[in-house]
Parts: sequence; structure tokens; C-alpha cells
Amino acid sequence: MVLEIVVMVKQVPDSQEVVIDPVTMNLNRSLTRNVTNKADENALEAALSIKDKTPAKITIVSMGPPQTESTMIECLARGADRAVLVSDRAFGGADTYPTGLTVASAISKLEHFDVIIAGEESSDSSTGHVGPGVAEFLGIEQITYCSKIEYSKGHITAERELEDGTEVVRCPVPVLITMLLGSNFPRRQSLRRKIDATKKGIELWNLEKLGLQPEWVGVRGSPTIVRRMQSIKERERAGKRITIETIPEMVKELYEKNILKVKK
Amino acid sequence: MSEFDAIVVGAGPAGTSAASKMASSGLNVLLVERGDPPGSKSVSGGILWGRELSNLYPDWEKSAPLERFISNKVTGFLTEDSYVGIDFKTKKFEREKTGYSVLRTRLDGWMAKKAKEAGATVITGITVDGLAWEDKKVVGIRQADDTITSDVVVLAEGANPRVAIDEGLRAPISDKDVAIGIKQVVKLSEQTINERFNLRNGAGLAAEFSLGFLKNGVMAGGFLYTNKDTISAGVVIDIAGLRKDNKTYSFDIMDQFINHPYIAPYLENGQLQEYSAHLVCEGGINYVPKLYGNGYVIAGDSAGLSFSNGMVIQGMNYAIASGISAAKAAVKCKEKGHYGESDLAYYDELMQHSQAIEDMRKFKGITGVTWSPMIHEFLPKFAENVLHDMFYETGEPKKHLFEIAMENLIGSRYDKKKLLLESYRMMRKM
Repeated sequence: MVLEIVVMVKQVPDSQEVVIDPVTMNLNRSLTRNVTNKADENALEAALSIKDKTPAKITIVSMGPPQTESTMIECLARGADRAVLVSDRAFGGADTYPTGLTVASAISKLEHFDVIIAGEESSDSSTGHVGPGVAEFLGIEQITYCSKIEYSKGHITAERELEDGTEVVRCPVPVLITMLLGSNFPRRQSLRRKIDATKKGIELWNLEKLGLQPEWVGVRGSPTIVRRMQSIKERERAGKRITIETIPEMVKELYEKNILKVKK
Repeated sequence: MSEFDAIVVGAGPAGTSAASKMASSGLNVLLVERGDPPGSKSVSGGILWGRELSNLYPDWEKSAPLERFISNKVTGFLTEDSYVGIDFKTKKFEREKTGYSVLRTRLDGWMAKKAKEAGATVITGITVDGLAWEDKKVVGIRQADDTITSDVVVLAEGANPRVAIDEGLRAPISDKDVAIGIKQVVKLSEQTINERFNLRNGAGLAAEFSLGFLKNGVMAGGFLYTNKDTISAGVVIDIAGLRKDNKTYSFDIMDQFINHPYIAPYLENGQLQEYSAHLVCEGGINYVPKLYGNGYVIAGDSAGLSFSNGMVIQGMNYAIASGISAAKAAVKCKEKGHYGESDLAYYDELMQHSQAIEDMRKFKGITGVTWSPMIHEFLPKFAENVLHDMFYETGEPKKHLFEIAMENLIGSRYDKKKLLLESYRMMRKM
């Protein structure tokens, strides 16, 4: 019996390069390069470390435009076995609700799954909805914000980081896990695997394959509408550098410059 | 039986040229690049001089992502208060294009795409760990505890050739062989750039300065290149001098340059788009290693192929030419069915008669000029003072230029005879 693991990934604009167009207030994606969402790399690594110990097959599932292929090939190069990209114009403009529905439908079309692992949230929209949404659509248990997971005898044991300690949860499969950003060190890509993946390509599934109605997905199936985006203007800095040796001198300097005030 | 005829390490101008030429000649080629996408690790200024690309793509001037053709070349000095420059503009370069400004994220991506179209397997985002050897012959590359085999490996890693150094195929880098380059890409509108630099119809400027305002023996050059709707601005710093002075930091030199009273207005209100740093090859002919061996060749910056005499700075054209030559040698080996050292010597033969090696041989010892205190300390101040004294109206009787020059020479702490000798020596070497 091979453990069937599904890892959900998303391609996002590199967060260090995101620029908001000052006129349209939209994210200017033309300047930024696309990368794999960092928390999803942690999700994949969690899956791979299970596979290191237990016979397992890892399937990557993503919804996105065709260029998401580069992210999927990267995942295959790190050690995943199969990649399914759900891509169709009808999915465009989806909020988290139809996205969860679409990804859940794709996963239910796989022959079998035991564990689904997702990143805690994506760096470009930061909702954290899609992982839990998929669990709800599939009607399975979920353990969110995990720092560590292990698999043994049909159960996942997960550690959740809480404010006042660590919670350890054990749950039988099928279960959906979301992994914390930075919870592990993603392994390197293998050149050989990447060559093979590049030559073989990935599986592309469209709306028809999923058997969903067009009005359930994409912008038509989205209950939320973004009314406005606001970009925060950076305050102009004086750009001066002062060298001060001691803290009292600094306090004096700040007081004299009217930055620090004495409360009367 | 190897998995590939050739593996190319690095998808810069050298690597993509080699891969494209080999693939279009029917070789089974793997091109591996650590940056994702190609060009994302590159920090060239930069101007692509020359017409080497026409050997690969006859229509490159229409299809390659070129920014502007260079019609205006500036070479000058900057001191704290002044800008002294030779500002050469010519309609001739509008007719006979000699160089184009390029952004490497775009150019390398385009060249990698062309290599892919020619049939090469292009893999990005992977760093090669080293070479695989068998009986003193390179038989492929190592990556993540795995070996991918090939008949020949083309090392085109760039200015910091880790694999070539680690495998003992070239000497490690020393301070005198490289400089530090720092570059900003600043976004403005195409129209603003045209207005600020007085440019028309896709023309562009390439400007290089020696930074005479630096202290404590630190030497650096500054550059400005206009792209379509961005400006590349940066500095190239001599490492030896920088290492000796623990008060100056490389980024401070960059700040001083872009905030210089005669540089800042060009960049004003621009949006910073990129800030990057990289090694710049400066070692000259002595830094060029043996270019080939049993199962491998070295091309581009990895082979130290770059040229600078302070006025002319080139590297990408040499890289493309060396990539093409490496490919020619590999194709010949493929025909013979043998990739031994004596077979790959054909690459060396081509290179020894190439413009790159001939230029570098002829300008042997040029680093003594480009990194001479005379250029970086004495000349900027001297030029500033002479021009100031000539144009400043004091109401006193006027002096001949020679008198002004001599006064400033005597006023400086430099020895007249030594300066004359030094200028003669430098003129000969430039």
C-alpha cells in the first residue's frame, strides 16, 4: 500500500519585487518574476520527509495560468511524482471560495488520496482560506498551522505552534494539513529529475475535465468583490547620517532637534 | 554512451551562444543555469558592443531585446564639485550601429529561448556542484549526488567560476583579477530619458567616469547607461584599495556617485527597480587560464575574457565569440567522434586568433593604467583646476593655458618628471 499524498501549491509574484502601480492601484505583475509560494515549498518538504520513511506517492495540484508549469516542474525536481495543473480561462478572477471548490474537485478526480498538505497561506493574498476550504469541500478533517508532521499506521501526528506552547494532534487519514511558513528547509532540486520533468511535462486539466459548471467557478462563482486597493505612500526621509557616541548624547541630540519632547 | 553530447554550465552570453550553435548543428545539448530565469544573477552594466550576434542570428537587431543603440559616448572625471568630460556624439553611429545598451534579465532570457528553439534542453534554477571525472577526463557534471554525463562540458559560469576553480581548471580569484561592480536600475519614462540626455529615435548614451572625489587611495569608476525606459547607474571599485581602507564601504561609493551634483539630476524622481552587485573580470591576459582540456572548454568571463582601457569596456561580445568558437570545436569533435584534449585544442586555436585574445594580449598591463592613481586622483583634480582657472574671470591679466597648467602642476604634490613619464607610459598602453 502506497500512501497517496497531495500537495497544493500556488505560483505567486516574488514578494520582494511586487510593485503597486501608482495609477491603477493594481499589482504590477509584468515587472515581477513568478516563484513558488514559500509556505507551499514547506508543504512539499513535509510531504517529502514522510516519503523518506514511508512508501508514498506525491501529487502536486495547482490552479493557475499555464505559466504555473515552471512551479510544478520545480516541485517534481524536488521529488514529487506527478503534477496536475488545473487551468482554464473560466477559473480567472476566482476568490478563495471557488478556488477551494476547484482544487477540491481536482483532488477528488485523483484515483485516491490519504493526506493533503498545503502551505498556511499564499504570500500574494494572505487569506489562508483555500487549504481549509478544500478540506470542507471534501468533507475531511483538517489540522492547520503545523510546524511538524509525521505519518505512522494510518495516522498523522502534527505539532501546532500556539502562543503558549505546542499542541500535538493525532488524526486518522484522510486529513488536510496546512504547514507554517519556514517550518522546515526545502530540499534542493535535482537536475536529473528536472530534465525528466521538463521533457515529460505536466498534466493539464480544464473545466470540462473537472465537470464543474462555469457559473460555479472563476469570477462568476466569487462572492467577494475588491472595491478598492490603497497603496501607502512612503514618508520622505531626511536621509542624513549622524554619528553619536553615547546614549545621553543621542537623547540630547534628539531633544534639541525637537524629535523627543519632555512631558510637562 | 553519454546522455548528452555537450553540457553547458551557465546561460549567459557565452553559454547560450555555445548551446545554440551546438544544438543547431545537431548536437544533443543540455544548458544548465543557476538563475531562474536566466539573467537574474547577472549584473552587466551594460553595453553589448560589436556585431558577434549576427553570426548566430542574422536578424538579431530586430528580434533581440535591445534597449538603445549608443550614439553618445562620454568619458570623464568627477570631483566633489565638478564634471569634466569628453562628450562624443555622432550621427555616424546612427547609421553604423556599434553598440546597444541591454538589460541582461531580458537579453539572457531571449538567448536561452533561442538555444531552446535550436533544440537544447534548458534547465534553470539549478546550481552545478562540480565535474565528473573518469581516467583524467571530464565525463559530465555532478549535481545533488548524481552525475549527468556528456562528451564535453562547456564552462561558461561568469566572473565567479566556482566549478572551474574548485576542479583546479583555473587559478582562484585574487584582488587584482576582479573589481566589485554595483548597479542600480532606475525607472523613468522613455520621454524623460530622451529629454535629460538629449536623445532621439532610440539613441542612447554610455558614460564612464573616474571618481576623483574618493579618499584614502580608494579607486572606482562610475557608469551611466540609458536603456529604453530605465537608466543603469553604478560603480566599479578596485578591491585592493578598498580592502586597505577600513573607513570606506562599497555602498557608500555607490551613494556618493548617484548623489553627485551632476549625476543625481539624471536619476531624479526615478523609481529604483534593481540594486545588485557582482564581480567584474579585470585581470587581463595573465588571468586567462588554459582554455581547454580533456573533455572540457572554458568560455566567456570564466576564461577572464574582458577588456577595459578606461575608454572602452567590453566583455559580452568576447563571451559570445568564445561561446561560438567553443561550439565549433565541439561540433568538430562530434564529427570525429572524439573529444580528447588534442581535439578540443581546436577551440584554443580559434581563440588565440580571436579579437578577444588579441586585444587582451596587445593591451597587456592595461590595469596599471585603468587603476592608476594618476587617473583616479591626480587627473580629475588637475583637469578641474586648470579649467576653473581658465574660465574664472578674476579681472587680472589673462594667462596662457600652459602657464595655468604649470601652476597647477607645481601646486600639486606630484613630481613633474614622474607625471610626464607616467602619462607617456599610459598613452602607449591605452
